[in-house]
Amino acid sequence: MSLFSNRRPNRRLILAGALAAAAMPVCAVAAPAGRRRFGVTLHPYYSYVANIVGDAAEVVPIIPAGFNPHAYEPRPEDIQRIGGLDAIVLNGIGHDDFAGRMIAASAKPSLPVVESNADVPLLPAAGMAARAAGKVVNPHSFLSITNSVLQVATIARELGRLDPANAATYAANARAYSRRLRQLRADALAKLATAGTASLRVATIHGAYDYLLREFGLEVSAVVEPAHGIEPSPAQLAETIATMRKLDVQVIFSELNFPSAYVETIRRETGIRLYAFSHISHGDYAADLFEREMARNLDTLVLAMAEAAP
Amino acid sequence: MHRQIVRRAGAERETLWVLLAAGAILASATLAVGLRAAPDAEAPLAAHLIDSRTGLTAAEQGLYADLKAAGEEIAALREAQGRAPTPEELAAEALPPFAADPSAAARGGHAWTLAGTGDETGDGIAYAGVSAAPELAGSLVLRLDGHGAAIWLKRAAEVPPAPPEDTALTAAGWKRIVSTFTAGVTR
Repeated sequence: MSLFSNRRPNRRLILAGALAAAAMPVCAVAAPAGRRRFGVTLHPYYSYVANIVGDAAEVVPIIPAGFNPHAYEPRPEDIQRIGGLDAIVLNGIGHDDFAGRMIAASAKPSLPVVESNADVPLLPAAGMAARAAGKVVNPHSFLSITNSVLQVATIARELGRLDPANAATYAANARAYSRRLRQLRADALAKLATAGTASLRVATIHGAYDYLLREFGLEVSAVVEPAHGIEPSPAQLAETIATMRKLDVQVIFSELNFPSAYVETIRRETGIRLYAFSHISHGDYAADLFEREMARNLDTLVLAMAEAAP
Repeated sequence: MHRQIVRRAGAERETLWVLLAAGAILASATLAVGLRAAPDAEAPLAAHLIDSRTGLTAAEQGLYADLKAAGEEIAALREAQGRAPTPEELAAEALPPFAADPSAAARGGHAWTLAGTGDETGDGIAYAGVSAAPELAGSLVLRLDGHGAAIWLKRAAEVPPAPPEDTALTAAGWKRIVSTFTAGVTR
């Protein structure tokens, strides 16, 4: 099954200025002859694609570093950048839905799209995002080693179809990268002297970590934030604290770089241990960013499991 | 004699037109809603299938993803070695879920064996993982036939039939795990 799709133009209005800018000739610096340019929307996907293509192609983030993808609104200069791409690699399940509108408004509305998550067993969205009987999925599949390996394989296969001359290189690089990612998980688990308890009761501030926790057989008992970046009301906070007490939650996972006063309130009221995961959506784009941040996340998870063990 | 009827002041006519317009709007809206295609009702899964998103425990979801990811690595190892890698060799590669790491016990403590190669499984390989804790995660079968991975589940500490073909697995109460891709809702 080909994972390339040509999107129907989105009916949502895009700023007239953005449309006008997108229609202008692309002034991107020409890539060396034969060297493809693949676009990405999010930090983890930059790392995936950079490791897959190596020097054989160029990876182009369409959103400049520093923008929060949760609150990003398309800008004319970013839409214009799409015109210089040969394909774009998307999360495609809710974390970069803005890309569809950008592609439709760009000079290349038929740009080939690689659906990274086509082969990933997706989980239902958590918290307030959970609706439509599980049809709305949790878009944070990149916060997991196993699902990253699945996405890397899909991306390498589809980019290889687009660029057959480099298909073997992409496949070999993808396999080497996947082995490194698996080793991260093995190294983290090696630090865990005893088996993690499957009955560890976990709450998360942001419903992003289900995929990661599934790798360790853990399930989220409660999600605190109604939606990403939206703090709970006092009534919701009181209800959450009551729920955590009732469920006897042992560990709360919050998010790095998003300090919230209410998280401290929860910790103070419940006495539950608090740990922070990286969402891998900050800082400069880098080939090794995903490995660095996931190594830290895995260490955090292992520490939480070790400290909660009886 | 010329006679002219002068109607009394009133809003009957305007009211009538307003009511007629409202009725026309209501009728056309009802017609539009009635003619609008209802969303296709999803056919229920066959009895021998189970949905990965809604039908599995947390541990089973993790194991299922691991087995899907393991398929490509197993195929590469098989090509390099000229034979199917054993579960022990896969564990040595730190390949989940074959690796006996601390998370394995938390997800059912499966004991993995090579469950068939070659003609028995349609030119593919099969691995069976018997669960030590079916309440956490059932026993699993991974079957690779060169076209992808087929993964089967039974919530019992049970060895699958040999060879683990579709008909035999279904007859023994195993269910094949299936997953669907759902694109972002606002795309």
